[in-house]
Amino acid sequence: MMQNPTFIRGPFFQAALLIFVAGMLYRLVRVLMLGWSKDNIPPMGSKATGVTQSYLKGLLIWPFIPWVKNTFSKNPVIYLAGGLFHLSLFTIVFFGAPHMLVFKSLLGFGWATIPLPIVDWMATAGIVAMIALLIHRLTNPVLKLISGLPEWLNWLFVFLPMITGYLMTHHLFLPYEKIFGLHVLSVSVLLIWIPFSRISHFMFYFFSRTIHGQEFGKRGVKP
Amino acid sequence: MPEESVYDSLQKEGVSRRDFLKLCGVMAGAMGMTSMPPLEKSGLPSSLDVTEAKSVERIAKAMETQPRLPVIWLEFQDCTGCSESLTRANAPTLGNLVLNTLTIEHHEALSAAAGFQVEEAKQQAMEKYAGQYILVVEGSIPTGEHAAYCTVGGRTAEMILEEAAAGAAAIIAIGNCAAFGGLPKAKPNPTNAASVLDLVKDKAVVNLPGCPPIPEAIVGVITHFALFGVLPELDKLNRPMAFYGKTVHDRCLRRPFYEAGKFALTFDDEGAREGWCLFKLGCKGPTTYNACASIRWDSGLSFPVQSNHPCLGCSEPDFWDGPGFYQGLSAPINRPNATAVGAAAAAGVVAGVAAGAANKAKKKQANEKEE
Repeated sequence: MMQNPTFIRGPFFQAALLIFVAGMLYRLVRVLMLGWSKDNIPPMGSKATGVTQSYLKGLLIWPFIPWVKNTFSKNPVIYLAGGLFHLSLFTIVFFGAPHMLVFKSLLGFGWATIPLPIVDWMATAGIVAMIALLIHRLTNPVLKLISGLPEWLNWLFVFLPMITGYLMTHHLFLPYEKIFGLHVLSVSVLLIWIPFSRISHFMFYFFSRTIHGQEFGKRGVKP
Repeated sequence: MPEESVYDSLQKEGVSRRDFLKLCGVMAGAMGMTSMPPLEKSGLPSSLDVTEAKSVERIAKAMETQPRLPVIWLEFQDCTGCSESLTRANAPTLGNLVLNTLTIEHHEALSAAAGFQVEEAKQQAMEKYAGQYILVVEGSIPTGEHAAYCTVGGRTAEMILEEAAAGAAAIIAIGNCAAFGGLPKAKPNPTNAASVLDLVKDKAVVNLPGCPPIPEAIVGVITHFALFGVLPELDKLNRPMAFYGKTVHDRCLRRPFYEAGKFALTFDDEGAREGWCLFKLGCKGPTTYNACASIRWDSGLSFPVQSNHPCLGCSEPDFWDGPGFYQGLSAPINRPNATAVGAAAAAGVVAGVAAGAANKAKKKQANEKEE
């Protein structure tokens, strides 16, 4: 299979995409069927306001004044490296020219992209952040206790596309088309893995934000 | 005839010593020679082995001593575009050298004779030069029960190739069709077309893919073998490194725009007029190994990217079956259709509902137990 990038770039990637779609819908329906908790007593505040405020704070305020939060002061490595990693991944996946072309071929429309040197620096930052997070996970006694095989695999399956992508743009070690095949292979493995792992938080993050925001908005019960 | 050296025959044609040395210089360039092949392998007299000798002098010596080399050129499922390419080689003398002096003993398209006459001439040449001639194959070969899709003189291409390959010193597969199957082999491959390497296992085969290959590459490889008796250094796909060692992207004149993120988005936008990178219009330059960007075409005049068209990747295997000429290089080769996506989505939803229902039943049971 390694010898045949055409197979990886063709049927294998296609199968991975379909498994990803099926898997994510499976997870989504399962979670939706758990049901939404009912208010036995009407709350005093507006739940909608709570949800809106929660999103605005989480996206526009806390990231710019992180030091006021416990999450930052207690775990600066996780906060900084984690934040950098997410920013790097988001930027590269959606605004790297070759990635946009993948979306364009699948969706039928494209968008503006970012020049290679900037993408490259973002990639370097993302890879360094991932290594920092791994070292942190390996050395922190609490994290070590709660890390099982799925957690280590999460790290590996996210790291492989990043490192193969980096090697590809820098023409290191292997011919371009071989690393290209490996890159698509690692992305396909990640796509298959996502629905069945905690990386699915890219979807469920919005559930938790909404539910928490709604709880914040209740502000007690109506007298 | 073979006893006469290349230089002898050129002299007969009235080529002066000065022009002859000029030609040797052009050839060194055409062969992409920066270093010479090891002499002992080539079977040339050891007096030639002067390490300080420049490549031009080496070529001059070889041309003065080596006998002329017969070339037999076969055409199968092709369009004769590769022959057309050869006749437009950079230096007129160079094309002339291959076409006349190096003795193309048999070439269907260029032959004045026709029919059984030309078949007979081919048979005679193959007998006379058995074990010495270079066999050039242009076009792919239909095989198996589809072999009849290409016949010459009542015999299939497969049979003709087998017969000609047996007496060849080396085989050069010219063009993507002969090298990798090309257009005839594109899905669904109705003629069950195969490349030369698929069929010939016991001979040295050089692949010169391209649609067509660069004429300088054709001339360079033929003269290299004619003069030194060995094939040039090849890559994993049997392509000469001198011409196929770097990608089109590596040497592209629009590469700086790629790095800077300046792309043409349509064929008539500002980017296209400014000569920006064609990556977003489907350029396959980064995965295409060929010398288009450095040697260029029509005597170094231009090449596709310079003329505002993305590289199609014509020197790579199966370039017809990629994601599409105007789809990005990174685009997946197979795009899932609506039915497949719908089926996957439905499967996911059904599985989700089933698991959800099971969870609900469990919850209900647990609640009942508590009560």
